[in-house]
Amino acid sequence: MTKENKDEEELSLEEGLGKLEETLGILEDGELSLEESFKLYKKGMELVRFCSEKIDRVEKQLVILDEGEEDEL
Amino acid sequence: MNNTYSVSQVNSYIKNMFTQDFMLRSIYVKGELSNVKYHSSGHIYFTLKDEKSAMSCVMFQSFRSGLSFRLTEGQSVVALGAIDVYEREGRYQLYAREILLDGVGILYERYERLKKELLEMGLFDSSYKLEIPAYSMRVGIVTAGTGAAIRDIVNISTRRNPYVELILYPARVQGEGAAQSIVKGIRALERVGPDVIIIGRGGGSIEDLWAFNEEEVARAVFDCSIPIISAVGHETDTTISDYVADLRAPTPSAAAELAVFSIEDFDRMLEAFGTRLRRAMLSRLDNEKSRLLGYRLRLRSKSAESRLREIRMFLASGEDLLNGYILRAITEKRNRLTVGREMLKGLSPLSRLKSGYALVEGDFGVVGMKSSVKAGDRLRLHMINRDLGVTVNEVCEVDRETS
Repeated sequence: MTKENKDEEELSLEEGLGKLEETLGILEDGELSLEESFKLYKKGMELVRFCSEKIDRVEKQLVILDEGEEDEL
Repeated sequence: MNNTYSVSQVNSYIKNMFTQDFMLRSIYVKGELSNVKYHSSGHIYFTLKDEKSAMSCVMFQSFRSGLSFRLTEGQSVVALGAIDVYEREGRYQLYAREILLDGVGILYERYERLKKELLEMGLFDSSYKLEIPAYSMRVGIVTAGTGAAIRDIVNISTRRNPYVELILYPARVQGEGAAQSIVKGIRALERVGPDVIIIGRGGGSIEDLWAFNEEEVARAVFDCSIPIISAVGHETDTTISDYVADLRAPTPSAAAELAVFSIEDFDRMLEAFGTRLRRAMLSRLDNEKSRLLGYRLRLRSKSAESRLREIRMFLASGEDLLNGYILRAITEKRNRLTVGREMLKGLSPLSRLKSGYALVEGDFGVVGMKSSVKAGDRLRLHMINRDLGVTVNEVCEVDRETS
């Protein structure tokens, strides 16, 4: 595994949401230059997409481990 | 053979003896159940026995509220009731009002002892509690494979988020080997590696829930590296595993609510994030726009066009000013002319001649104050209606002005 700068791939959903909140905070402060703001905006939008796509939207069936024992009658 | 009694008389006599006995009216009898018969009328007939003896018992339908479990053969119970005689058959029996499982007291004692022990060992310490992840994608469950608990968990999880994977280890949750089965389930799921594990079962008697009060279950919960939510029985039941678990849920349904995040809320939250991002960017752009507008206005005021406009405006106002001056000057002159004309009118020689004065004229012109006139000069007097030629006889200097 040699993923160096592609850190977004490694983010968990919670970390992604944390970063999103942080990005938004800086952007809402409005202290940055227009260019930097736009960069942050794009990054934020990517994070939104990332978080949404982090969830595999396929409905799951209940998995039953067969090593389990059958229950009471 | 003096005193002969009928059967019913004897039975009635005996019954009377029983009813008068204070102790027999309310008595706890301990024994093992046998011949349990649930009658269609709702009455329950059974026998209580120990190694040496047996006693018939009945619990009438009207007293069924005194029984919270199903009587089964071999159970050790304590029955509270009255002992009375059934006259028709000449039998006495226990009329039970309340039946308790024996051993409950013993179980409570064990529960309290273990709880104290584990508490002292720090197994309930909040510093050991793992945080329940906010967004679990895989949830492990240790509970009975059938029954209300798993059904509730699956229903609520699916409703909240059908994309979360549920992995069930169907465990034996009561009876023989239940504790071992639960322990195996926790360990098996730990190997599979879900984000969070729910252990639990639906409501039941203290015996039914007992496996969750066993030390080995408590230790397995404590040792598990994955956060565990414990949901055993109803809200009022608290088992040892509830204390050890990272989070206690009052019911299996509540556990599902805690373990599985709502996808609807999640999507709504992401949408709100997007909206906030756009709004922040737009307001940033608006700031730039109004700054730009400010610059443009300042620039415009410095442009050649605006200089010209300024000059034009200055000229226009100058013209107005000048016009005003001229008009005022003309009026003034006109006024002075009128005044002058009036004054001139008063100064005219004709008007003087009319009042009887005469104009004196010599050879050199009109005789004024400074003209030199000597005796013998010939002068002409112009009057209004005639001219006179005269000769000067003498000249006497007088000073009328100073008199």
